[in-house]
Amino acid sequence: MTDAANTDRWIRRLNLVQLVLAGAIIMAPTVWMVLSSFKPSFEVTAYPPTLVFTPTLENYVELTRTTPFLSYALNSLIVTVGSTALGLMFGIPAAFAVSWTRISWPAILTLAARMAPGTLFLLPWYVMFRQVGMIGSYTALILSHAVITLPIVIWVLLPSFDGIPRSVFEAAQVDGCSVTRILWRIALPLVASGVAVSAILAFVFSWNYFLFALVLSNGDTKTLIAAAFNFIGEGSTQWGALMAAATLIALPPLVLAALVQRWLVSGLTLGAVKG
Amino acid sequence: MSDTAATLTQDRQKLEMAALSAPAVVFTVAMIAFPVVYTIWLGFQTFSSTGKQSFAGLANYSKLISDVEFWHGLWITIALFVLSLALQLVFGVWLALVLFHAKRLPGIVRSLFISPFMMPPVVAGMMWLVILDPSLGAANYILQSFGLPPSDWLASPTWVIPTVALIDSWQWTPYVALIVLGGLQSLPPSVYEAAQIDGASPFKTFHRITLPLLLPTIVTAAILRSVDLLRFFDIIYITTQGGPGNASNTLNIYGFRVGFEFFNIGYASALMLTLTAIVFGAVLAFNRLRGAVAW
Repeated sequence: MTDAANTDRWIRRLNLVQLVLAGAIIMAPTVWMVLSSFKPSFEVTAYPPTLVFTPTLENYVELTRTTPFLSYALNSLIVTVGSTALGLMFGIPAAFAVSWTRISWPAILTLAARMAPGTLFLLPWYVMFRQVGMIGSYTALILSHAVITLPIVIWVLLPSFDGIPRSVFEAAQVDGCSVTRILWRIALPLVASGVAVSAILAFVFSWNYFLFALVLSNGDTKTLIAAAFNFIGEGSTQWGALMAAATLIALPPLVLAALVQRWLVSGLTLGAVKG
Repeated sequence: MSDTAATLTQDRQKLEMAALSAPAVVFTVAMIAFPVVYTIWLGFQTFSSTGKQSFAGLANYSKLISDVEFWHGLWITIALFVLSLALQLVFGVWLALVLFHAKRLPGIVRSLFISPFMMPPVVAGMMWLVILDPSLGAANYILQSFGLPPSDWLASPTWVIPTVALIDSWQWTPYVALIVLGGLQSLPPSVYEAAQIDGASPFKTFHRITLPLLLPTIVTAAILRSVDLLRFFDIIYITTQGGPGNASNTLNIYGFRVGFEFFNIGYASALMLTLTAIVFGAVLAFNRLRGAVAW
């Protein structure tokens, strides 16, 4: 019996070692990025690399001084919030209707759109937006990013709406409630946490999206992600400022994701896995 | 309530439902369906240097077949896809098993594990660009302190694709792991108990029981990753823009550059439609595979 207990303890220890190893590999690059962003500029490119240094904010000051970082950040915020709002506005009623009627093609249509490579839409958008003079407008950016947010909202909310017992709706119908009223007054409050998760996921993926803003934005409306090039270009040796930019760009999605980590995985698989 | 009144309410309800999905459907048709039809049409056009456009029939597609750069891009796309998917599935299943046996996962650990794939791929590219710098990067320092030869990583035509696969796998292996973990947690515990009573070794239990039962979940993870891997863009565009030379010029990068750097919209449309067909073909193939391994 003690033999079995011994092996059991060893297996558990071995598992812990593997867990720590995996955690270290996952964490190390991010930690290195954040550390580098606080290093004095002469120490960022030191070789051999240093681990002990006096932290400084000079890279962050440099970043805001030499690049319009804050106006890029504002652009990112406008495009992300706008496209998330649009995704929720269109996605919530659609998810409800699909869940109720079991007619699923609208949901599948938006998912198929998410599977195609973005350049496929970007080519005609570019031609069309140029014809109406909308290249570089917030409207074009928000509309294009809503293509990302809409399927996320619909597919995260579908299982939530499916989880509401039909009897709840039937009772409301007998009371003479219209479908729209049932959605806003009865169903929506019941799936509030699902709405929050879908909004956060939509925000994160819209914030992170690179391709569309690369072509559809101009100098005034460039988002942080699309401007990442400028940070790399403006100093191949300015690693400190580059890592400060990378840290700041990654911060909003990481903070938001940490808030809803428990519900994230089932949402991320767009309903493919019940996690 | 009379019969006609009942049909009337039913009709009204159908109408209301249609009205609820209408904004999403109209938006998707306007932003996706119509532009895709437009792209198909653009694929039959050529644009002269002055911007004059004319019907070209299948010229863009016959150009594609004889375009060395297209076949190279297809090869790079498939190599990157196979390499990354293999790395992410193998390490993802391993990581899922480790997490599964850890039983209790504090929220902070979970947050830590999702952090790579919640950050923008562009940021992942930026940080690895610094870490993998051939002369001053931390990666080569670590290699050398173990007595291993340094690598040129992203600057090497030979190593750029494995390096990009490594960066992407750093980002998305935890995602695969969390999906597989969900599958593990939904397996009935009774099968393990039966295996234990029969005296099966842990390896045999995994190989003969866990893995076959997990296959549908693993194929699902493979589908979700394939869609991203076949249209690989962000990390390559931010780090190498398809270089050095054309060593990391995937089809998506190539199509983007043909369209927006050389402004050959017609040929770029043909390229992107071909890539889209490849992505959907892969998804359909995996879907059939999932049907075959389902239990």
